[in-house]
Amino acid sequence: MLKSASDGTSTAQSQPGGGLERWAERHLRYLMLAPTVLILLALTIFPSLYMFYAAVHRISPNPDLPWEFVGAGNFARLLSDAQFHVALRNTIVFTVVAVTAEFLLGLGLALLLDKFIRRLTFLKTVLMIPMMLPPIAVAITWKLIYEPQFGVLNEIMYRLGLPLQAWAGDVNLAMFSIIVADVWQWTPFIFLLMLAGLASLPVEPYEAAALDGASSWRQFWDLTIPFLKPVIAIALLLRVMDALRLFDLVFILTGGGPADRTKVLSLYIYQVAYRFADPGYAAAISLFVLFVTIVLSTWFMKRMRLAD
Amino acid sequence: MATRTLHRRSRTKEVLTRLLAYLAILVALILTLFPIYWIAANSFKFDIDIFAVPPEWLPRNPTLKHYQEAFIQRPFLRYALNSFLVAVGTTIVSVVFGTMAGYALARFHYPWQWRKQVSFWILSTRMMPPIVSIIPLYLFFNYFQMLNTKSALVIAYTAFNLPFATWMMKSYFQDLPVELEEAAVVDGDTRWGAFLHVALPLARPGLAATAIFCLIISWNEFLLSLIITLTEQSQTLPIGIAGRVTQYNTYWGEISAAGFMACVPIVIFAFIVQKHLVRGLSLGAVKG
Repeated sequence: MLKSASDGTSTAQSQPGGGLERWAERHLRYLMLAPTVLILLALTIFPSLYMFYAAVHRISPNPDLPWEFVGAGNFARLLSDAQFHVALRNTIVFTVVAVTAEFLLGLGLALLLDKFIRRLTFLKTVLMIPMMLPPIAVAITWKLIYEPQFGVLNEIMYRLGLPLQAWAGDVNLAMFSIIVADVWQWTPFIFLLMLAGLASLPVEPYEAAALDGASSWRQFWDLTIPFLKPVIAIALLLRVMDALRLFDLVFILTGGGPADRTKVLSLYIYQVAYRFADPGYAAAISLFVLFVTIVLSTWFMKRMRLAD
Repeated sequence: MATRTLHRRSRTKEVLTRLLAYLAILVALILTLFPIYWIAANSFKFDIDIFAVPPEWLPRNPTLKHYQEAFIQRPFLRYALNSFLVAVGTTIVSVVFGTMAGYALARFHYPWQWRKQVSFWILSTRMMPPIVSIIPLYLFFNYFQMLNTKSALVIAYTAFNLPFATWMMKSYFQDLPVELEEAAVVDGDTRWGAFLHVALPLARPGLAATAIFCLIISWNEFLLSLIITLTEQSQTLPIGIAGRVTQYNTYWGEISAAGFMACVPIVIFAFIVQKHLVRGLSLGAVKG
């Protein structure tokens, strides 16, 4: 396709304009790509190299002191750092539970709307609102709802005759509270992607299946799910990548507490870098997170053939 | 006779399923809207009524006191303007460059399988958690004396939005038929001209969806802004709001007013662009 044009020989010569213009036309495929590649190189290679350099040093909070080379020392610390293990476990629990819930609810809701109220785009937009709101506003909204003394959630519990809880302040419920707020905000994202996927389903296979007398359950498993597979894969990939870097909600709602029950990796890195003033170690943890994210997503994308 | 009862039973079942479905959608709507309503309701209450037990479902003595505090006594308008400028700047840069790169990756041939490698690398830069790049970016902006500037935020946010924009536009262009551009080139247009005059207009829904996502992501961003900006002249709305949750006091009323005002433009915007959002996505990015 466009072989002659992209080779830039025959057509370029027939074009009007000066030499520069002709040169630009001939190298268009590189020129159009260049700004993006250069910007991303500058903004990702530099931080990565710097992080690597910082991660092998002990950096004193005093900027006048030189950095002390410690080799793999900061990485070795990861093995015995109990707080890091807690943060890692919290992040995994959060990611698995929140993304699973968001996926099931988002897909279910999209199927319901697609089947029963197709025309009402107004309703779809209303259901998408939470994902567009600033996470900080979401965090504060939920903080207000969870408030143990005057929060509305405890009022509802009271009316229903259920025991009052401290929610985000309770050791056993804090993570659950974070997950609920996250599910509230991000189910709409899955919902939106699934709606878009459902909107592009072909009609013919369903007609054929209906003629063969396939139940709607069978049609769902044998037609809808396979067709949606690429959309599902992208939705899950994006949500997992975002869940691994959860910060705002925890920062505002619980600050990582109580008893470190909601301390996730991003928050721990933030604390190590700024509160404990140990940027070298923070860099080592960051590299660990980056490494895990890249390995996971690469494996997933290869498996789902998303990069082709 | 037998077939008629069977028919009737399946009709009852159908009506019942329909009712259950409507009920589920209604519950989802209430759960979606209630928290937004709640923050709005609280923003119109006096402090004492926010703390009322049992809570006031409707503000009994509505007041604009908190709006006055947030927007006249405190610089929330300034924060909102900063957010707006940063979001628009980031969106323009990301969409312009991302569209060009996406088009190039969708249409051109490169030596040595570059296309696949470059696309994959661009995508992989999006995987870097913001917290990872914060310390180097801080030092980077410090070195160029750009801390506390809106340009620094635009640059930082572009790093996160550009891969996304490129990726979305690439899959969008791949779904467009190439023949129209070929025809334009045969008729004497340049390749760049074919891109500008033929491909770009066709890609409008994809462009709209991409721009919407970039705008929302940058309007909402928190962590990078928290680290890079400290002055009123540069801080964005999310930071301004978070600043009212202090160690000693949480200014619920003021926060609710500012939080609600941060949501309003986004919600209005969502209704204006809703058509593009689903259409742009269903033709483009989601197909992988």
